[in-house]
Amino acid sequence: MRFRSNKIKSEDGSSVDVVLIACTLFLTAIGLISIYSASYDAGGSVFFQRQLMWAVFGCIGMAIMFFISPRIIEMLAIVAHLAILGVLAVVPFMGKTVAGTTAWLELGPFSFQPSEVAKITTILVLALYLSKNNSNIKSIKTLFFAGLIVAFPMGLVLMQADVGTSLIFFLMYIPVVYWAGASPFVVLILVAPFFIGLASLIGTTALLIALGILLVALLLLRENGFLSAVVFGLNSAVAVSVQFFYERLAPHQQMRIANFLDPGSDPLGIGYNVIQSKVAIGSGGLTGKGFLNGTQTQLNFIPAQWTDFIFCVPGEEFGFIGASLVIILLGVLFLRGIRIASVVKSKFASLVAVGFIGILFFHTVINIGMTIGLMPVIGIPLPFLSYGGSALFSKMIMIGMLSAFYLNRKEYS
Amino acid sequence: MGNGHFGAGSRKKIFNALIVIALLIMIGRLYQLQFVYQDEWGKKSRDNSVRTIAIEPVRGLIYDRRGRLIVDNRPSYTVTVTPNEFRYEIIPDLAMLLGLDEQVLRNRIDRARQWSRFAPSKINRDVDFEVIVHLEEFRDRYPGVGYVVEAKRHYNSRARMSHVLGYTNEVSERQLSRYPEIYHPGDIVGAAGIEATYENVLRGERGFEYVVVNARGQFVGQFAEGQRNIPAGEGSDLFLTIDAELQAQAEELLGDRRGSIVAIDPQTGGILALVSKPDYDLSNFSGVTSPEIWTALNADTSRPLFNRAVSSIYPPGSTYKMVLAAAALEEGIIHENWTVNCPGFFRLGRGVYRCHRPEGHGRVNVVEAIQKSCNVYFYQLILNVGFERWSRYGRLFGFGRRTGIGSIEETPGILPDTDYYDRVYGVGQWTRGNLISLAIGQGEVSVTPLQMAVYAMLLANKGKLHQPHLVSHTYDTHSRTIFELPYNTEEIVLSEKTWDLIRTGMNKTVDADGGTGRGAQIQGIASAGKTGTSQNPHGEGHAWYVGFAPYDNPHIAIAVIIENVGFGGRYAAPVAGRLIDQYLKSIVIRDAPQRTIPVTYDRTATGNDER
Repeated sequence: MRFRSNKIKSEDGSSVDVVLIACTLFLTAIGLISIYSASYDAGGSVFFQRQLMWAVFGCIGMAIMFFISPRIIEMLAIVAHLAILGVLAVVPFMGKTVAGTTAWLELGPFSFQPSEVAKITTILVLALYLSKNNSNIKSIKTLFFAGLIVAFPMGLVLMQADVGTSLIFFLMYIPVVYWAGASPFVVLILVAPFFIGLASLIGTTALLIALGILLVALLLLRENGFLSAVVFGLNSAVAVSVQFFYERLAPHQQMRIANFLDPGSDPLGIGYNVIQSKVAIGSGGLTGKGFLNGTQTQLNFIPAQWTDFIFCVPGEEFGFIGASLVIILLGVLFLRGIRIASVVKSKFASLVAVGFIGILFFHTVINIGMTIGLMPVIGIPLPFLSYGGSALFSKMIMIGMLSAFYLNRKEYS
Repeated sequence: MGNGHFGAGSRKKIFNALIVIALLIMIGRLYQLQFVYQDEWGKKSRDNSVRTIAIEPVRGLIYDRRGRLIVDNRPSYTVTVTPNEFRYEIIPDLAMLLGLDEQVLRNRIDRARQWSRFAPSKINRDVDFEVIVHLEEFRDRYPGVGYVVEAKRHYNSRARMSHVLGYTNEVSERQLSRYPEIYHPGDIVGAAGIEATYENVLRGERGFEYVVVNARGQFVGQFAEGQRNIPAGEGSDLFLTIDAELQAQAEELLGDRRGSIVAIDPQTGGILALVSKPDYDLSNFSGVTSPEIWTALNADTSRPLFNRAVSSIYPPGSTYKMVLAAAALEEGIIHENWTVNCPGFFRLGRGVYRCHRPEGHGRVNVVEAIQKSCNVYFYQLILNVGFERWSRYGRLFGFGRRTGIGSIEETPGILPDTDYYDRVYGVGQWTRGNLISLAIGQGEVSVTPLQMAVYAMLLANKGKLHQPHLVSHTYDTHSRTIFELPYNTEEIVLSEKTWDLIRTGMNKTVDADGGTGRGAQIQGIASAGKTGTSQNPHGEGHAWYVGFAPYDNPHIAIAVIIENVGFGGRYAAPVAGRLIDQYLKSIVIRDAPQRTIPVTYDRTATGNDER
């Protein structure tokens, strides 16, 4: 273990990461304001009131987590995870279906999304496994078992037809193993097929560029020549087989994929929301149209905007300033999280911190990327802003845990 | 090891770098969208938005079998309010103009406001043209008040056809949540009859128009010069098998009496007329249906909304006797000369069962038994035939199962069998005495008027049973193609001898002296039929008649029931006779020249001559 202890000393006195907490609360407040505006005409203030209630619960949860020692969390991780896996397994049969996804369980007046909690517990168990002394991150066996920890809940979430969330499960694995010491080569193996496959769908030029980048990356990493050749060969095979299957799809299926990659090509279907959200954000200008004055938002151009397309609201009503503020607040929060990961002495806490930040980061990039037309349409919420009680609550719990790790940063586990 | 170990500083740098890069890309894109993109679109993108306006498709027209236009569409003016521009102080004025209660109007505007402050909401449907003229003339007095032209159903025929056509209605909450991509709030959908069954065909496809509106929601221009607009696809036209003239006559003949008439073309199974009385006036449902009319129709104890032809079940009475006769003949239990002596009553154990003729029919064979409707003959017969065979032949003849006319309201009726009796009475708790009632179509056996018409068709066709249907083909106005609608045909194979005997009995019922169906006789044309009077606890018996004509080459099969009037021979047979007579005359006169000319369908030219 080698930690850069000189940095800690200068901040030894502080027990709370004020910046982290402030970013969280500020973002949640922007979220509440945006939900109020987006649902102002559609169904009144019910959405706002519910989200406000969850925000209050979230703050309480965050405060409680702050006082719980990382050791206790470590002890409870496996039990909690197994319990939530059990719940996840019954969701496809007992859950409530919203927009084609069966991800909600009804508990009296509350709907609750177990997959949100599963993200937390999966990270905890993954971190627990990788922080044990007998696990060697360099060995394929360790990587494989770590992969299994993630694959299991990911499979259960896929059964709920929630593709976006299961993608998050896959993505969050990457920063955690990388932080644990896995070689960049491993990361490349995990990430490359996606980009190659995507590039192959976009066109020949894109594919050639992507393969070129892969080749350069493999050369730079200077791994075993034979392994590198195998990786390159497999990725080329991915490109060929993606092409092969694409050409054999029915025209309407090809169309769906084309629309997925370029939502603008289908202005009435999948592209409708994206076009409208781009118009909303684009028309916001520097300072926006003012609270409750966004025409796109108030005219309900974007269906159910308070969930996945919430980012349009600050974009339209508070303009470039408002939207950039949201992005900067999220960015600062991520940087603080990575800082916590590097100052805590407990290996477990450090990995958990990276995992949590990974979750929040991927959510943010995919969601905002979709809203501003840089990413395909994948339905996952924007952390702290999107309407959704369990999502907000579980994300505040993450922040609470991060704060607790920071408080106990000198403890080794 | 360098940077290869846990949580190495270089990895932190990479994470931080990735976060900052992602941040910069997103902010860069925001800059591009909110500054560069804005320059590109200039002022337009700042104040204007594209709004999608749905263009409602024109609902398909409905013609009868001769191409007479029965249902088309008329413009109907719907007043809209855009809440954001609307001023509440004009409510009294507007309420008076629209003839609405002030509070009702206020509630509707509040609801519209909740849905959207900027989009126009439909406030009052089907207002008079004078109101629109007034609104246009004094536009500045009514800020935020507009109107849209919609289509409402218009009925052209003398025939009411309430239950055949069915009414249209505003789309229900359930349909809205089930088919969100098809329906919008305020859409008109078929709610009963053909309008509901063929909703998918008639509806057509909604089109979209993209218009640019400014921040106040006012129309500025077409988006992208209208190139993105998608025109609405008109609904397909339906061509019914119904003969509107025959339908109208049937409705008039039933008049105020409760009952039902179903006539079928035995060569195809196409329904010629389908009447259920009491009925209702469809024009009350086009435009706005007033709550008073709804309440009245629903509260009416004679249930006018109920389609008796497919949903009511009645004991078939003596009309059912041919089923038993067919079973007995076909199974070799009796032959043509097998007779029963009818003294006017029949004894079984301690029970005495009467014939309708107290002095008795004397010795009767199967043909006479049908002709005179002798109950005693059939009491004896069912004991010989047995319950199991009786049920089996009933099912063969189409009873106890749906005919497949394609109406969601259709019921299968009741055809008792041993299982059914075991369930109702308990195993061993029912006796041969229960069978006696079944022999004359009383007891548990229950049928719909439609089933009876199908039964008449089957007898007319010597076993050929076409699936009854109301629509012969549809016409897609866009591709100018006719789609014939397929139907099934079953064949019930009985010996020629069996058919001959039963049909002779039916022929004599109408055309020979002593028959019970003399009232249905038609001058110059041999016809066949059977009367029935079904006993029921509500008073006089229901009068039944089933029949077909001409005897040798049937062109119409019919079932008539009139509730609680008495004998079928006296009340139902004459109605059937007149309808058959008029229909046969009409096809001789009108079809003769048309037969050689291929029918062409022109939406603009057909139909109006019949009005």
